[in-house]
Amino acid sequence: MLEPLLGSKSSEKVLIFIEVLGEGYAREISRFFGIALDPIQKQLGKLELGGVLVSFLKGRTLIYSFNPRYPFLKELKVILNKALAFYPEEERERLLMNRRRPRRRGKSI
Amino acid sequence: MKTISRMTQAELAAYVQSHLQKKGITVILSGGAAVAIYTVNKYVSADIDFVDVCYADRKKFKAAMEEIGFSEKNRYFIHPDTKHSVEFPPGPLSVGDEPVRRIKEIKFSTGTLRVISPTDCVKDRLAAYYFWNDQQSLDQALLVAKHSRISINEIKRWSQTSGKMKEFKIFLAKHSGKK
Repeated sequence: MLEPLLGSKSSEKVLIFIEVLGEGYAREISRFFGIALDPIQKQLGKLELGGVLVSFLKGRTLIYSFNPRYPFLKELKVILNKALAFYPEEERERLLMNRRRPRRRGKSI
Repeated sequence: MKTISRMTQAELAAYVQSHLQKKGITVILSGGAAVAIYTVNKYVSADIDFVDVCYADRKKFKAAMEEIGFSEKNRYFIHPDTKHSVEFPPGPLSVGDEPVRRIKEIKFSTGTLRVISPTDCVKDRLAAYYFWNDQQSLDQALLVAKHSRISINEIKRWSQTSGKMKEFKIFLAKHSGKK
């Protein structure tokens, strides 16, 4: 949807994922959208280099989130949310319902 | 002129910046090196962060830096005769979502250094404190505020716009206490 604007489908997926979930790591995003890991990693690196995202190490995983100091963040989020409203219902639901709250180890579903 | 090994961080920054300017690349000093300058080296940073405000091609940067003996390692430029590394964070030059307009020029024997103003330097450090609760950045903001002339009113306005008045009050209380 935003591919003509952002230059790639992976870039859109990365940004949408992080907008909805607040943060994410490459393998998680790649699995969620069923896209190869390599282009996702490349886009994450590119967006970090451009100051749009920042990354933090949690254990051995590099977690990406929006850079609150990115000067166009507010405007970018408006566009992403608008695009999200046009996403297929099923994909939007899947994104919004993606569990993030903690779950005790061994607890039955 | 001094050799690179004998240059202070500020002299080196002025030297690199002047060289880049001759090559048509405009950059502005920001980050920890700006803090070091405004605190008369009470704060020490090994990095020299130049924000690229002309959106030059990376290859152009590399070629210009290589002419003065720097080589690229990951995203940093290093030189065998200095511990200081040079990085070029992407533009635009901004604090929060506002553009930085006021640039200060400081002359050194090695060149003219163009650096963000002390007030913007404080805002830049406060941004990291406001958004990530980074205490080191708060300390740096306080150091700059103590050693340089800054506009508290402007910092207050910016903090208000950023929705960070609670954090600004903490900064102000510590700043007033240190005077």
